[in-house]
Amino acid sequence: MKHFIERPRFTCALGGAIATVTALPRAVHILHAPPGCAGNTAWTQMGGCGLQVGGYCGGISIPGTNVQEREVVFGGSDRLQEQIQNTLKVMDADLYVVLTSCVTEIIGDDVDSVIAPFQNDETKIISAETGGFKGNSYLGYEIVLESILRNYVTRGETTVKGRVNLWGIAPSFDVFWRGNLEGLRQLLSRLGLEVNTFFTVDDHLDGIRQASSAQINIVVSDVFGWQAAKISQEVHGIPYVVSPLPIGPSASDLFLRRVGEALGLSAELIEEVITTENQRYYKLLEPLTDCYNDMDLQRYAAVVGDSNYATAITAFLENDFGWLPQVIVITDTLMEEQQERIVNRLSSLKSGRIPKIIFKGDSTDIAKSIKEHWEGSQTQYGKYVNALSPAFVVGSSLDRPLAQELGAAHLSISFPVSNRAVIDRGYTGYQGGLRLIEDLISAIIVNR
Amino acid sequence: MSYFLQKEPPRREQRLNACIASGGTLSDMTNRKMRCCVPDGERTFTQNNICLLLPALGMMNSIPNSVVLMHGAVGCGSSSHGGNVGVRAGNNHRWGVIKDGTWLSTALNESDVICGGEEKLEAAIREIDEHYKPMIIFVVAGCVPGIIGDDVDGVAQRIQSEVSANILPVHCEGFKTKIWATAYDAVYHAIGRVMLQDTSENLALEKPKKATVNLMNVSSMGRVDEVELERLLHALGLEVNIFPVFSKPEKMYAMTHANLSISTCPTHDDYLLKHLQEKYGIPFVLKHMPIGIGNTSEWLRNVAAFFHLEDQVEKIIAEEEAELETALQEFKAFFKGKKVFVSAGEFRALATAILLAELGFEVVAVRSFHHDEFADSEYEKLSKITATDFPLNIANCQPFEEANLIRRVKPDLFLGHMNGNSTAAKLGIATNVIYNVGLQFVGYQGAYQLARRLYRQLTNPGFNQNISKWAQLPYSEDWYQQDPFAHIKQSEGEV
Repeated sequence: MKHFIERPRFTCALGGAIATVTALPRAVHILHAPPGCAGNTAWTQMGGCGLQVGGYCGGISIPGTNVQEREVVFGGSDRLQEQIQNTLKVMDADLYVVLTSCVTEIIGDDVDSVIAPFQNDETKIISAETGGFKGNSYLGYEIVLESILRNYVTRGETTVKGRVNLWGIAPSFDVFWRGNLEGLRQLLSRLGLEVNTFFTVDDHLDGIRQASSAQINIVVSDVFGWQAAKISQEVHGIPYVVSPLPIGPSASDLFLRRVGEALGLSAELIEEVITTENQRYYKLLEPLTDCYNDMDLQRYAAVVGDSNYATAITAFLENDFGWLPQVIVITDTLMEEQQERIVNRLSSLKSGRIPKIIFKGDSTDIAKSIKEHWEGSQTQYGKYVNALSPAFVVGSSLDRPLAQELGAAHLSISFPVSNRAVIDRGYTGYQGGLRLIEDLISAIIVNR
Repeated sequence: MSYFLQKEPPRREQRLNACIASGGTLSDMTNRKMRCCVPDGERTFTQNNICLLLPALGMMNSIPNSVVLMHGAVGCGSSSHGGNVGVRAGNNHRWGVIKDGTWLSTALNESDVICGGEEKLEAAIREIDEHYKPMIIFVVAGCVPGIIGDDVDGVAQRIQSEVSANILPVHCEGFKTKIWATAYDAVYHAIGRVMLQDTSENLALEKPKKATVNLMNVSSMGRVDEVELERLLHALGLEVNIFPVFSKPEKMYAMTHANLSISTCPTHDDYLLKHLQEKYGIPFVLKHMPIGIGNTSEWLRNVAAFFHLEDQVEKIIAEEEAELETALQEFKAFFKGKKVFVSAGEFRALATAILLAELGFEVVAVRSFHHDEFADSEYEKLSKITATDFPLNIANCQPFEEANLIRRVKPDLFLGHMNGNSTAAKLGIATNVIYNVGLQFVGYQGAYQLARRLYRQLTNPGFNQNISKWAQLPYSEDWYQQDPFAHIKQSEGEV
């Protein structure tokens, strides 16, 4: 086993937590951290998140204790106390979230006892232990959700029929998170559901506070958001249903059926929505038929991404778009059981074909493995070469050199996305499949 | 004892008495200088910002044939995703090849925090040496090893003889200093200790035949700016050796052969230039920053004086200034009387404010990231050219103070550091970024290009104006009623 990670395609738990709190409506963080953690996150977003930095309170606007050697030696609780007191005066928020860092966790400051005296009906202040050494940015998302569910969401709310919470998409580190959440809200609203997505511009804190009134929680990931769902079940008694990130018609059909089943909705309603949505999707796609065929736009594909995207994009390319995904590289750090789930997912494509599945996070190794597979997959008889060509690399902006070497077109979707500007574009649902087709084909014909 | 004999460089708070918290006016600063700041002074409310790791990465990630190994939690150094944009462009502008930087992390986890990370670090260095075969491995100590007591220097020393790469330990523990300019010292320290040794390869390096200068760039200038300064130095007949960004490791020692080292920003370079003088007898110029018309001329004069090229330089300066002055005419009437607010690293903020005054703007406020003695002369220059008094704020960003000040001074234009313009932008002010290495700032050409950008931005500041109608800054209405410097701790007994 190697003892380092090359160009990690995520940041630490604190970075993920910072982005998650920034995405909450009218929330402000208080970092109990040395100077640098917020700026590091801002520069990470600037370079990897489709040009989206911060939000209402993000980047270097985030309040923090900026602990130094004095606090390391004598403890940082007094400084935190002073900082909270003044943050409440200077900053304008309806929820304050204290986030801890490597330094303040190692020195062992007791944050909860510092924040307790500040909590009252007027002031909502919670904390989360997000030391960077605990794990990656996806974990940071999970830890913030956990704290919200345990400490902010009211208990004992009456269940409201048709109300659901949706998790599994981490703000910023899913670069298309806004559009992806919105796409799923739109889709589920076709079933008459009221969807609490927590992090979009249309969410609000009152809704989040009442998240315990949901009928079920929906997790659109094989990895992320599970912890939140388990905690919500434990604390609020809400069951959950899991689906892969649904991109395009096939995955959306399955997603709607699964959610419908979990909520006990009529199968007839579900099928009616599915039919209408497919009709719409294919009507919109129809005019591409001439060029798709005449320009020979089918491709062999290498897909590189986090566990959400790698599986969802592969399924879309194979099941919906008629492409040939060959190698799938999953770039986030996973436990064995999580890896098994991903393998199962990728082994159940409609065609029955099983692509090569690799779990790797280092760009140099990723490129090497994919090139090896590519070279090993071609046969040659004299001047006749049956190569994996034409090819496409769907990955991050770090995979551009690989695409160049393969002579393949390239699209950045998974973090880091340095070469695209993203506002509310999303790939989820039926509509998202069309967006993805637009982006893939546009990348192929960029010099047309 | 030379600082370079120690494992790590001192904090700038200690070495230079640098400080980060002061609120007053330009005349306070001009008259009282260092007494304006309480050493190690602070605020009762602060916002988080960057630490020294970020500018240090800007230097390290640029070095060809090197890798940067972060020894810390997995997030430390993820800012490289942002910095990589500059590495790609920098490689392209210099060699016509787009190439990413290579940064790595030991990704310390909970068990490393408990058991120590030295073994992991040692194994990682060996693997990286074999896998990437770089000439340099920068081993960067983040906060975690600093607290759990990993001896990064000890590991480097222990295994150096067993690996091919040069191991350069760089100390970037964010909790150890509030002055991120300490980053320059940290990287220079490592390069000075390891790469400037009198090895046989280094001693075999060919010596320059013509008068040569070291032109220092710690990544605050892009290639376009280097080209402008090279143009001016070549006009004096000087060869130019740019250091340290994008400099090839095998050629680093060449800087010990120069006749003179020239700083482009005194905040950046004093640590190394003093070392080069002490150890190799290379004199240096650490005065003025070649941003702005007068400052570029002064900077050039200082260099020329060293080589006794006074007559030659006056001729160059006269021609350059005359041509620039003519070209600027079409903007000056438009700029006249428009109010401008500047915020950046101390020297850069002051030099830029002086340039803006030269262009006809009325400077209404200046913020500097920190304060040390090098900038005293610039406060005097600024005072002289503006001939008015206005708010002057020493702050390591702290946009809450900035928001409050902007509401009071109501500028037409704001110039802030990268990631530091959004506060002004959301208040509807036209902005221009200071410190974006793709844009030109330096020398006579930089002054002209900045003027062109400002003309463009002031002609239609619609983006920011529209955002400001709908976006809100995260500060309470009550805060805007307070003194902008209310949270700066005052020292006892000071008047």
